Amino acid sequence: MSSRLEPAWRTPPSWGRVAWYPLWSLYRRELMRYRRNAPESVGGALIYSLMFLAVFTLAWPSTIELQPGVSAIGFLVPGIAAFALFHGAFENAAFSLLYDKLEGMLGDLLMAPLTPLETVVAYVTAAATGALITGSIALGVLVLLVPVPLASLFPIVGFAVLGSLLFALLGFLTGMWADKWDRYAVIDTFIVMPLGLLSGTFFTPALLPETGQILMHTNPIFYLIDGFRSGFTGAAEASPLFGFLLCSTLVFGLGLLAWRLFARGWRIQS
Amino acid sequence: MLFLQGLRSSYAGAALVGTRTARYFEAMFDSSSPSRPAVQPPAPRPLGQVNWLGLWTLYLKEVRRFLNVITQTVLAPMVTALLFLAIFTLALGRGDLVVHGLPYALFLAPGLIVMTMLQNSFANTSSSVLISKVQGNIVDVLMPPLSSFEFTLAYAAAGVTRGLLVGLVTGVAMMVFVPLPLHQPIAIFWFAFNASLMLALLGLIGGIWAEKFDHIAAVTNFVVVPLSFLSGTFYSVERLPENWLFIAHLNPFFYLIDGFRYGLIGVHDGDILRGAVIVGVVNAVLWALAYGLVSRGYKLKP
Repeated sequence: MSSRLEPAWRTPPSWGRVAWYPLWSLYRRELMRYRRNAPESVGGALIYSLMFLAVFTLAWPSTIELQPGVSAIGFLVPGIAAFALFHGAFENAAFSLLYDKLEGMLGDLLMAPLTPLETVVAYVTAAATGALITGSIALGVLVLLVPVPLASLFPIVGFAVLGSLLFALLGFLTGMWADKWDRYAVIDTFIVMPLGLLSGTFFTPALLPETGQILMHTNPIFYLIDGFRSGFTGAAEASPLFGFLLCSTLVFGLGLLAWRLFARGWRIQS
Repeated sequence: MLFLQGLRSSYAGAALVGTRTARYFEAMFDSSSPSRPAVQPPAPRPLGQVNWLGLWTLYLKEVRRFLNVITQTVLAPMVTALLFLAIFTLALGRGDLVVHGLPYALFLAPGLIVMTMLQNSFANTSSSVLISKVQGNIVDVLMPPLSSFEFTLAYAAAGVTRGLLVGLVTGVAMMVFVPLPLHQPIAIFWFAFNASLMLALLGLIGGIWAEKFDHIAAVTNFVVVPLSFLSGTFYSVERLPENWLFIAHLNPFFYLIDGFRYGLIGVHDGDILRGAVIVGVVNAVLWALAYGLVSRGYKLKP
């Protein structure tokens, strides 16, 4: 008798400790969004990379040597690719989250059977993946055009993954904090672009005055770019291992912060 | 005035009698007093040759549109230009790189200022027209009694205003780091004005042509940015190979940048007078094209 009166709810699927299927779905949705925006984002990154290459090549006296034993172009190309990669990661993550928030689509996601940690992981890794694709395309085109040395693949991949995760987390936090597109543009112009362009992307600390050199060595992005470049040129300004550990710690810390803030619904849930 | 007086008197009468609407219509169609009708139908305001008020209003609307987000439209471009100055001075300068007998930073600063102006005048008109089209509020500027001439002029003038404002702000900020001698004020003004106008008109044409944001992003990424980067902003075109040099001289952006640089620091690659004439002619042609598109209602009116 009682069993007939009970509503016929479908039992929710049991996901186990990690909801792999929803996590994978969200990750795939984010990648599909990346693909949709690809002509604009990849095209833009590619154009800027080529512009930087052309402008530096034309403006530079051909004899210049920024790092001892490394050609100017060999020094430059990894920097340009790193900037395209990092900026792309920031853009992807911030755009996705802010768009979902402003269009009111984030509610659908908060209702879904995903823990906050799973949501953060899906957004950030998808943004990083997209950026790695953009960065690879930019690097590929640059390598086709000019000769670039290759010393070791390991630091290139390691620092590329680490850097894209770091900037994706920065983008994610920006997306959470911003309440309109204007705010996002402020963070992009006043923090991310200077960080990406002035952290040894196009010059070595040796070119700077004393205080600039000290500042540079306290900047984690410098270690990222320097480590990434050392995979090409084989010459690093700072210890790549130290840089790797420092940036891993930073990624871990920012990830923790993003997770806790997202779990608390900071600037997301009213 | 007569109309208002009639309205007021009819209202006063209506209050006395009680049925206001009835009295009002009575007064409106009352033909018993032949000397002066109580109410006259509203007549359009005489506009004269040019609807100055409408023109000014549309211009103000366009200017307020970008001033409303001034961080994004004026301050951000300034910061980006300063960033470029920092990068290129640090990476290339080392204090010993000399172009045309001048330190590289001094050579670069005018190029960066004019590049910022070019990109922002384009962004202003193109985004304004396109957003209005996409959101459907373009009818609000097509319906009012504004001629195609006034429409084109208001949009172009607002784009020029943004370009000049951004140029001024960027220039002042750069003066802190690089002392610019302001060699020839007339040339500065002529080339700054024409640079802003050229891109404002191109932006207007682009905004009219584009149907979605991807289109205008493509024009910005593949036309405006490359042209403003590669037309002598960062280097003297003398460094280009021979056949490229010829192409550079066909590019109106080259004359804008070269002329503006001459105005600020007194060095140039091309002939200034010829450049001044060329940019003027190009702008006249672009104006005719933009005006033609607006008056035909191309992609603006169904």
